[in-house]
Amino acid sequence: MALKRNVSLASALRYKGQGPMLTYILHRIGGVGMAVFVTVHILASFVGGKAGIFANSIYENWLFQIFIFFCVLFHAINGLRITISDLWPKLIQHQREAIWVEWAVFLPIYGIAVYVIIRAALGG
Amino acid sequence: MQVTLKVFRYNPDVDKKWHYETYNLDIEETERILDLLELVKGHYDGSLSFRRSCAHGVCGSDAMRINGRNMLACKTLVRDVGDKIAVEPLLGLKVIKDLIVDMEPFFDNYKKVLPYFINDSPLPADGKERLQSPGERARFDDTTKCILCAACTTSCPSFWGSDDYLGPAALVAAHRFIFDSRDEAASERLRIISETSGVARCHTVYNCTMACPRDIQITRAIGELKMATLTGKVD
Repeated sequence: MALKRNVSLASALRYKGQGPMLTYILHRIGGVGMAVFVTVHILASFVGGKAGIFANSIYENWLFQIFIFFCVLFHAINGLRITISDLWPKLIQHQREAIWVEWAVFLPIYGIAVYVIIRAALGG
Repeated sequence: MQVTLKVFRYNPDVDKKWHYETYNLDIEETERILDLLELVKGHYDGSLSFRRSCAHGVCGSDAMRINGRNMLACKTLVRDVGDKIAVEPLLGLKVIKDLIVDMEPFFDNYKKVLPYFINDSPLPADGKERLQSPGERARFDDTTKCILCAACTTSCPSFWGSDDYLGPAALVAAHRFIFDSRDEAASERLRIISETSGVARCHTVYNCTMACPRDIQITRAIGELKMATLTGKVD
C-alpha cells in the first residue's frame, strides 16, 4: 500500500523555498493573527463582564500589540506586492528585487512602531 | 571526496512506516545525485527504487527533493549541494516505494486543461502548414519547454493542500496552447482554469519557478493566465 499524499506542516515548513516561501508563511501567520485579533475584540464587546475585561487585557497588552502590528503591516505590504505581481505579470521577473524592497519598506516602519510601543509600555 | 547520502526508504511489502538509510560514499564532486543513487543501487542495496530514463534532463523522470528542494537528480552535481545530501520523494503525491511517487493525480490534472492542439478549421488552401509569425511563436515559447517532471507542482503549497488544484505544470500546458495563435480552444481552456481549482488557487509563492529545471517563468505564465481569465484577452 502506498503512503498517503498528505503533507504534514513539518514537511511543508522544511521545504527550502527561500525568500518568497518565507513571505508566504508570514502572510498566512499575519492573516490568522488579524482574524484572532478581530475575534477577541468582538467577543470582548459581546460578552462583557470579567470575561470581556480579560479579553481586553489580551489585545491591549503591549506584546500582543507588537505581534498584531507585525501581522497588519506585513500582510498589507506583502499583499500589495502580490497584487502588483498579479496585475502586471511581466514584473514577476523582478520578484527577487520586489521582496528586498518589501523588507526595506517593512523593517524601518515596523522598527519605529515597536520602539514607540515599547517606550509607551515602559511609561516613557 | 567523502559524502553522506541520506535516502528516504519505504518498501510497502516490508515497512509499516518510512525511514531513512544513510550511505557513506567516496565519489568525485563532479558526479550527479543520480550517479550516487545508481552507485547505492548497484553496490549497496539493489532494492533501492527510483525513476530514471534519459539521465540528461530531458525526460523528467528523476525529479525528487534534494536537500529540501525539488530538483532533477540527473542535473544536480554533488559540488552544488555539499557533502551531506538528503534525498526524499516529491511532496504531495503518494509514495509507492522509496523515491517513486504515484504520478496519476499529476497527469489527471494535466489532462484537464486539454493539453493538445485544437483547430477544426479547414486547412489552408495549399493544404500545408497553418502559418504563424515569429512574434506569435515567441509569445508561448517559454511554456513549450516543460518536460512534465512535476518538480513545480509538488513544490506548490496550494497543491500540498489539495490535489484538486490543477497545479503549475497543468497551467503551464494551458498557457502553451491558450497563447498559440493557431489554436481555437482558448476560451474553453480559460473556462477550465477559471474554476475554483484553477488559477485562483495560485498565491504567487514562486516555489514553482525556482524548482523548474528548465527555467520556465512559471509564476509569470500563471500571472498572464490570471489576467486572461479576467479580461478574456489572449494577445
